[in-house]
Amino acid sequence: MERIIQKLTQYPKMILIVTVLITVAFFQAMKSNARMETNLDEYMPDEHPAFVYSDEAEGWFNIKDGIIIAIENPDGIYTTETLQKIKDLTKRLQKFEEIEKVDVTSLYTADNIVGTEDGMDVKAFFKRVPSSEEKLQDLREKVKSNDMVYGKLVSTNETVSIIIARIGDDVFSQEFYQELLDLAHEFGETGEENVYIAGRPIVEGTMAVLGPADMKRMVPIVFLIIIVVLYALLRNFKSTFLILSVVSFSSIWAFGLMAAMGIPIYAVSTMIPVMLIAIGVAYGIHLYSHLHMFQLENPGTDRRTAVEDMIKEMWNPVLMAAITTAVGFISLLTSQVYPIKYFGAFSAFGVLVAFALSILVIPAGILLFGLPKVKQKSGGEAKVSKVEDFAHRSADFFIKNKKQTYIATAIVVLLSILGITRVWIDSSFLEKFEKDSDIVLTDKFINANFGGTSTLNVILEGDQPDKFKEPSALKALVKMQDDVENSLPIVGGSFSMADFLKRMNKVMNADDEDFNIIPDDQELIAQYLLLYEMSGDPENLWQVVTDDFRKVNLTFQLKSDNSKALNSAIDIVEEYRDDFSALGIEVNYAGSGYKALVFTDLILEGQVSSLLMSLVIVVILLGVIFKNYKLGFIGAIPIVTTTFISFGVMGLLNIPLSSTTALISSIAIGIGIDYAVHFIDRYRIYAVESQDRQLAIRQTMFHSGRAIVFNAIVVIAGFMVLLASVFPPNRILGGLISLNMLTSFIGTLTVMAIALYYSKIFITKGEDK
Amino acid sequence: MKTRTSLILIIGIFLIGSMSLTAQTEMSATEIMQKVSDRPDGDEMEGTLTMTLINSRGGERVREIRQYIKDFGTVEKKIMFFQKPADVKNTSFMNWSYDDETQNDDQWIYLPALKKVKRISSDSSGDYFMGSDFTYDDLGDRKVGDDTHTLLRTETLEGLECYVVESVTKDEDYMYSKTITWVVKDRWYGLKKEFYDEDEDFLKSLTLLNVEQINGFWIITGTEMKNDQKDHMTRMEFKGVKVDAGIKDSNFSERMMKRGL
Repeated sequence: MERIIQKLTQYPKMILIVTVLITVAFFQAMKSNARMETNLDEYMPDEHPAFVYSDEAEGWFNIKDGIIIAIENPDGIYTTETLQKIKDLTKRLQKFEEIEKVDVTSLYTADNIVGTEDGMDVKAFFKRVPSSEEKLQDLREKVKSNDMVYGKLVSTNETVSIIIARIGDDVFSQEFYQELLDLAHEFGETGEENVYIAGRPIVEGTMAVLGPADMKRMVPIVFLIIIVVLYALLRNFKSTFLILSVVSFSSIWAFGLMAAMGIPIYAVSTMIPVMLIAIGVAYGIHLYSHLHMFQLENPGTDRRTAVEDMIKEMWNPVLMAAITTAVGFISLLTSQVYPIKYFGAFSAFGVLVAFALSILVIPAGILLFGLPKVKQKSGGEAKVSKVEDFAHRSADFFIKNKKQTYIATAIVVLLSILGITRVWIDSSFLEKFEKDSDIVLTDKFINANFGGTSTLNVILEGDQPDKFKEPSALKALVKMQDDVENSLPIVGGSFSMADFLKRMNKVMNADDEDFNIIPDDQELIAQYLLLYEMSGDPENLWQVVTDDFRKVNLTFQLKSDNSKALNSAIDIVEEYRDDFSALGIEVNYAGSGYKALVFTDLILEGQVSSLLMSLVIVVILLGVIFKNYKLGFIGAIPIVTTTFISFGVMGLLNIPLSSTTALISSIAIGIGIDYAVHFIDRYRIYAVESQDRQLAIRQTMFHSGRAIVFNAIVVIAGFMVLLASVFPPNRILGGLISLNMLTSFIGTLTVMAIALYYSKIFITKGEDK
Repeated sequence: MKTRTSLILIIGIFLIGSMSLTAQTEMSATEIMQKVSDRPDGDEMEGTLTMTLINSRGGERVREIRQYIKDFGTVEKKIMFFQKPADVKNTSFMNWSYDDETQNDDQWIYLPALKKVKRISSDSSGDYFMGSDFTYDDLGDRKVGDDTHTLLRTETLEGLECYVVESVTKDEDYMYSKTITWVVKDRWYGLKKEFYDEDEDFLKSLTLLNVEQINGFWIITGTEMKNDQKDHMTRMEFKGVKVDAGIKDSNFSERMMKRGL
């Protein structure tokens, strides 16, 4: 392999031309084929039973995510103007191509089931907007006496009314999102009323706009800072340029290949360049660091000799680092989630490209453009010695303070374990926003006035048609529904077929509250249902029960979309699973909130198993590479400590695990391996040569240690920029990556260095001094 | 005769111009719809209605209803008894529909499980009939004067020559902005009808499945309504239809509803 590399570098021009040509080709592929996947459903594995079921159930009951538009009039909504706005907004929403007419619910479209002296009446609340005070008061009374509307479409303080427009998974677009915001703005501009817009599609839409927009703004700054810091450390423009070219090219190749293969860019794919910057920069720095040392030791050397030595000494550790890192990423292929699989595969590809380009393009560049200048004499030398001296002294310091370092590490790891126990998984979208952002405030406002902006659908499926005409089945449903609603403050409302029947029973019995229950007679239930179909709009009924009355859809409204809220409701529902089972009824869940919950669990399950798997693989690989199994374990030290600390800090700072934060742990592996391989390899060379472990560790600290510190500083400086981001998830990303870089480098240069030193591996000639 | 009318029409186009053409076609379109409305179908009718509701997944629900209708001049009375499904057997429904436009229909329902006759009122004739794709209006006679009619063209449909009439509502709040009816020449029943919702979007279409001559009257015994927006379909089939076979006036009463068949 080395011979091939050495041979190829005989033709530096050709290397550069070919590299640039391939890059241009991939860039073209990226430009013409790349597409962002914004439909979150596309992220989920369709064949997973939970998703299959949820999708089916969404079809049975027409379950869709709701856009909620709230109209607030501080003086009360029962004015002609406000009601006119509710009617106009309802009609405008119905006219959207993306919204089915029947999927818009408001006071204007709702049915009012009322009891009359000798019968029952199902009417609209209003068709023509009432204009006289008397008619307005009449409407007010009608609303107040109907539990199916009061507190659900009109707030109990009568100052807010909502319109719900339910939309399918596949219709959301940036244009549609913008049109909705414009519509809300237009209606809020005139008159007394304030108009708010919320709901899951809006949250998802805002996130899809805000996240990438923020990244677009921040990434150039990140890159600029990396350039500046890299230049400040290397003091050489050409070196900086070459390293960054390699990093950028590897990202372009990875994305270009994705585009060429027709794989869309998912949200997690944006982590690929992040990984490649952190890892790719390290390869370049290690190469240059070696070159620098060689130039110091061999003043006046020519390009060819210096480059040959660089390749000879460095190709092996860089390749080993690349392969182990790639294997770590490839372990993500075990994930059930396609975006994660792709992330793993293309990060691995990018890492190997970064290796190939580093080992070919950097030497080619040096051969063509000349060696970086090294100040040999005068002030320069003093400065170098100072660095060297510092490296040696820190090596001595750590070795001397072995116990203290071990204890400190143990304490940090223990603290981290404490933190890890507090880590929680979150599939919430809303919690990704600033606490004082419009979207969070609107959500709070609607949650304060209504049942909740988030929903959980519980699907009960009977073993035969007409199961949900049976009083026993319906009573069990009511019991569970009431239990969940009453025992959890976070559940603000619920809605099921039972609510229809209870209201009909009450209304048919002269509005007597005692009859607000499920009747005991199955035939009566069947006849009520027929009556409802005869007098109302049965579409409303088909949202809660299928027309064979075998399956029902119970909807809980939640005031939060976080996983804790969903799980607390699910926990109570699960207590009833056996009761239902005895009645021949199966319990399942549906809806986008539930799918997000399952999805997050799937991601993490995959993350944890692939993390463990890659750890095992890394230990074995390092053991094999260095022909010593102990080194496998020593080499795993930075990875393990970094991973522990990363998750620990998340737990302690209450940062929930999500699809992106979980992936950051992959950086720990990628970077940790890199540092470990370089450090151990250098130490091996020095130790075998000198048989003096003190000297070896000192030299390694200067050679590899310096490169590791440089790499860490560059990446940390770059990603710290994200802390100034306006989108919280991007801030967390920046912070955690910086943290991982920091702990990886500290872990390598302290604990691992000490462990390596005291292991006495590579020292064959008995005890040294 | 027919040829001459068309000839006059064509000459009219050239001689008088579009203004008077509109006037003339509107008049004849209204006449056509009046003929449809006036088509004699007997004063009494009884039969068994099988109503099949078909949802978007192809699931079918079948209801069998025994139905009696009698025209009393200013009021048309209808009484229905459910036969199937079993859990609603003997549920009955009665409807009195008045010629006087200002008077709402009177409706009663008898639920055997509740053993009570209840009045149900519905302020809108736009309500759907028993969860089907038909509204009460689709089944009853909409007054000719409620719409502005225009003859769009004549064409042959299923071998029958038809007038294609567009009827635009005069009431802005009405659930259909317009309907288009294919009226069979000289027989004066609709072969097909398209409904457009209040936003002028296509909503549903009614197709004639079967028509029989009973007692000299053209009686529609099979229709199908397909709602495009809801992807839902209703088929109505009448069997054992008897026209003017003699139904007692006293059959249309609450007592009869309770007693059943």
